[in-house]
Amino acid sequence: MATEIQEIDLKTDEMIINMGPQHPATHGVLRLLLTLDGETVKHVEPVLGHLHRAQEWQGQNRTWFQYQALIDRVDYLSGMFTSWAMARSCEQIDGTVVPPRAEYLRVMVSEMNRITSHLLWLGTYLIDLGAMFGFPFYPFREREKLFDLFEEIAGQRMMFNYIRIGGVLRDPKPEWFDKLKRFLDEFPDRIDEYETIVTQNPIFLKRTKGVGILTQAVAKDYGVTGPCIRSSGIPLDLRRTKPYSVYPELKFDVITFDKEGDTWDRYMARILEMRQSIEIIRQCIDKLPSGDIMGKKQMAGMRIKAGEGFAAVESPRGILGCYVISGGGEKALRFRWRNPSFCNLSVLHELLKGCPLSDIMAIFGSIDVILPDVDR
Amino acid sequence: MWLAGIFTIVWMVCWALGIALPMLLTQQLGDKAALTNEILRAATPVIAILVFIPINAMFMVLIERRALALWTVRKGPNRVGPDGNFQTAADAVKLLLKEDITPTGADAVMHTFAPILFFAPSVFGAVPLLAAVTNNHPLFRVLNLPTGIFFVLAAGALPVVALVMAGWASNNKYSLVGGLRSAAQAISYEIPLVLSLITVCLMAGTLDLVKITEQQAGGILNWNLLGGGALTGLNNALAGGGAKALATSYFMGPISYVCAGLLVISLIISFWLYLTGACAEINRIPFDLPEAESELVSGYNTEYSGMKFAIFFLAEFTNLFIVSSITTVMFLGGGDNPIPPYILNNIPGIPQMVAAIRDSYFCSTLHIINPETFFATLWVIAKVYGLVIFAVLIRGTLPRFRIDQLMAFGWKRLIPLSLIVFIIVVFAREFVICHG
Repeated sequence: MATEIQEIDLKTDEMIINMGPQHPATHGVLRLLLTLDGETVKHVEPVLGHLHRAQEWQGQNRTWFQYQALIDRVDYLSGMFTSWAMARSCEQIDGTVVPPRAEYLRVMVSEMNRITSHLLWLGTYLIDLGAMFGFPFYPFREREKLFDLFEEIAGQRMMFNYIRIGGVLRDPKPEWFDKLKRFLDEFPDRIDEYETIVTQNPIFLKRTKGVGILTQAVAKDYGVTGPCIRSSGIPLDLRRTKPYSVYPELKFDVITFDKEGDTWDRYMARILEMRQSIEIIRQCIDKLPSGDIMGKKQMAGMRIKAGEGFAAVESPRGILGCYVISGGGEKALRFRWRNPSFCNLSVLHELLKGCPLSDIMAIFGSIDVILPDVDR
Repeated sequence: MWLAGIFTIVWMVCWALGIALPMLLTQQLGDKAALTNEILRAATPVIAILVFIPINAMFMVLIERRALALWTVRKGPNRVGPDGNFQTAADAVKLLLKEDITPTGADAVMHTFAPILFFAPSVFGAVPLLAAVTNNHPLFRVLNLPTGIFFVLAAGALPVVALVMAGWASNNKYSLVGGLRSAAQAISYEIPLVLSLITVCLMAGTLDLVKITEQQAGGILNWNLLGGGALTGLNNALAGGGAKALATSYFMGPISYVCAGLLVISLIISFWLYLTGACAEINRIPFDLPEAESELVSGYNTEYSGMKFAIFFLAEFTNLFIVSSITTVMFLGGGDNPIPPYILNNIPGIPQMVAAIRDSYFCSTLHIINPETFFATLWVIAKVYGLVIFAVLIRGTLPRFRIDQLMAFGWKRLIPLSLIVFIIVVFAREFVICHG
């Protein structure tokens, strides 16, 4: 007869680890409640709200003029986009006509901001993967150069407050464009440098290929946007699918990948987007019309007509929407933000299920979440 | 230039404190008390190591931070002392003054004992190396063991226990995962590491570190890195032995030549295997999983602070230094000059310089140094710090493995490869006259 196989019932326990809010790799103050079986993740529950600053409430208790300066802090890595979303929704209600030069400048600075945001992501992502002290500082080198340019036009390096309701704050001097062109000329070489050391690095490939696969169905269900969904093969890019500003006049293609996106695809999507942004900025410099840059008088007590409006822009992290109700006064009646980080983060538990502990950071880093953007 | 200047100075300070001073004392007391003399003679290497290790570790941290800063477009420490040179000394003082915290629920005894168990092996593991790296200096000959490399490896295997202890005793889940990871990793990577060293011992025919070093004397072609004596025949031929020397060494004609080539390739692979295994053994990037900062906060030493943490930190850098020293002794000819003597002695000025040093006041009267030890030490410094900086460069470049990939890499790639190399060497060395 068949020999009986005795099954040894080894009792193992699941371990609950509290990752964050004070953890070196949770990009701020995300708290992940992990249920681990050995080193395998069984369940993950993000606990949000550690950085809740009541941004929407603040918008209803500050004048339009004051709140403009505040929203850069929502997504501090891409302040231009939050400003832009708010400006566009307010202009929608107000019916303000934005001068074409201002529109072009908005596109330019936003794309520059997209580059800085992706550069910082690239650096921190490599830190997440354990290249702790090596590579991450190289992207910062270029980021600082862009910040110098921002400083010249906005007066600040990160909290720009440059895109205002009705236009932009300041017209750059002609030298500024020369500096920008010089940067654009050298920047592709720098991206090549990053790619040489990262893209085909065997350890990097091992850590990212086939890790954290985001299927199209899941991505759609959770409302993932930005490079994450595009790398999964869905060409959702507001700049093309629902064009705004002067994007219809510019030539560029939506970056998508054929297959379902893994972590490496999300990395590659961002690298390609940086290259694309360079081209967009170049086109903007060539096409830049002369003229006025402000369509609405900026003053402390400015008012927006009564009504409601919604506008969305394609931020480095995805679709950033701003919904405003104005009663015609100095303050808004209601602000509501649609933050890409929040929606992208919600997909995390699907991606992390069953992955090893080390992959948490590889996957979490790859969806590029900004915690102030999640918690507002 | 800056680096070279600094580490010569620091080395000289270490040297004066650790080697010259005890030796002077030995001389002073030598006539009066033979017993004191003996005790001092035995104690000197230990004192030398105990003085050398902290200073050296501090200096290595400084080098590492400097070199990393250089490669990562940063400035590095530049505030404390001239050019930031006292930065690590200040850090050390700060660490020693910090409050020592034992977390609630921790096993206090094990928590305290772990850093000691981690650090102690790196101290006594370094002892047999001393004789080898100083070209068998009389002062350190006492501590040379016939099974030197075995002792060093045995000592090097101990810290894993300490890491598991630290992980378990901390009462912290991150520490626990770090400790377990380190155990798994050390067990997996110890095998290729030891196998690669066994390959070298097989070529050398001895476990004695001093003998292994002595065999490799006489230029780069004699080093274990390049075939462990397989190229000695070539070296002898170049030195003036001509075709006769070739025929003696490669007595089987073409088969011998092929085998010599195989040996060279095998030993280079062994060298690489050793470096990889050693990186994993001392938890350097890309194998620093036990203390993966982005995952485990700080791994096994998460809950350590103050002096205990300082000891962990010190031991880590000492381990890096010891691993580099072992590599130098086993593969890179110890204190041997890569340029063979038959070239070196023909360069005008070099023999005169050696003679001048030998006749100088320091050598002939004070017996502080002899030229052999002096040059050997210089070469060892250059090689060891070269390897250290190489490790820093790797740290500055590569991301980290995942634990399952790490294990797969160890078991499926490194171990079979080291076994294959070992077998090739076993057979190939029969057809060539080599060191052993």
